[in-house]
Amino acid sequence: MKSSATTWILGGCLAAAAAMVSWPAGAHHSFAVYERTKVVTLKGTVKTFQWTNPHVVIWLLVTPASGGEPEEWGLETTSPGVLTRSGWTRNSIKAGDQITAEFSPLRDGTHGGGLNSVTLASGEKLTASFASGEKAGLK
Amino acid sequence: MKKIHLRAALFVAVTAAGLSAARSDDAIDPAPTLKDWQAMAKQPDFSGVWTPNVSNQVQQERSNPPPWKPEIAKQVEKLYAEEKAGRPFPVFDHCFPHGMPSFMLITHNAFELLQTPGRVTLLGEVDGNRLRRIYTDGRAHSADPDPSFHGESVGHFEKDTLVIDTIAVLPQAYLAVNEAVGIPNNGDMHIVEHLHLVAADTLADDLEITANKLLTKPWKTTRLYLRQRARKYEIVEGVCASGQFTDGVDKNGNSIFAPVKFKNGVPVGSDVK
Repeated sequence: MKSSATTWILGGCLAAAAAMVSWPAGAHHSFAVYERTKVVTLKGTVKTFQWTNPHVVIWLLVTPASGGEPEEWGLETTSPGVLTRSGWTRNSIKAGDQITAEFSPLRDGTHGGGLNSVTLASGEKLTASFASGEKAGLK
Repeated sequence: MKKIHLRAALFVAVTAAGLSAARSDDAIDPAPTLKDWQAMAKQPDFSGVWTPNVSNQVQQERSNPPPWKPEIAKQVEKLYAEEKAGRPFPVFDHCFPHGMPSFMLITHNAFELLQTPGRVTLLGEVDGNRLRRIYTDGRAHSADPDPSFHGESVGHFEKDTLVIDTIAVLPQAYLAVNEAVGIPNNGDMHIVEHLHLVAADTLADDLEITANKLLTKPWKTTRLYLRQRARKYEIVEGVCASGQFTDGVDKNGNSIFAPVKFKNGVPVGSDVK
């Protein structure tokens, strides 16, 4: 997302925003909503890296295999605190980055998923795991 | 507790939790004295950042479930079925706090524990409203405490164990075994905890939960937390509602929170071009 892009702004479009957002079930939820037995791999361009509680979201633009305009995918993972303990930072991913994401998809085909891992253009692989924080005295 | 000795000189004049026993609700808490701070050196050091052992949470869920009443067990079975079908019940809908005892039972995030004269405080990472205040100044429970998500907690040290007694939890607060399976406690819940170290940096919380509306008998269960000293593991500010927005810019170039579009509780569109 470029900083000059200003479409769908909160300040100017409150009424539209209220219509778009499905309140209130939109934040802290179980990841059972994703089909954990399936893994999808997609390569795309990061639109926004949303570093927020309770869940971090990578908004990824992916060009369909059949061609056409890039489509947006919302790939959700755990919280900034847990990710920090897995080696992530808020700067691990930036808008414009080319990444490959592995995720468990939403069951109804909607473009979203629960993230398993991200491979950056550098080849570095980021994962999210509670187990990585299950030792005392982590360095 | 050397750190606490150092703090004593700095915070003698700071107003904090009261220190005299069993006062009425309109009592004035005196400022802690150097003697009060020094007395804390006898307490076990539970201070610092603690990360939950989530794997152990899951093991406990499977091996030691609550003794649900038969009619409650039917509700629980349905919730497990919904979870399995990919329709998890939103225990934390609206970004409400976990509340007690779920905060101790199923949190995935760290908490920071602070020890000060007359009080132990737990600050939860997942949201600023994950806050427990355990008064150790000898006071009794209030005659008619206002119900809250975390209830009213009073505690005392027995050797190296902090014993905590909690009442007045909102009836809507869940007794949850995971993020998709929980039942509102429906009132009259009583929780007794024994917080103690089982290793230098491993804290155990032995809970005994009496929830007569839900359980056939008190449920005893233990949760483990792991201490982190590295600064990079300090708890971060958490605002649950911020997950409903992403970064945006308005027509004036101002930074704003731009709403995210949700479907069935999960983000499916950022709507930021």
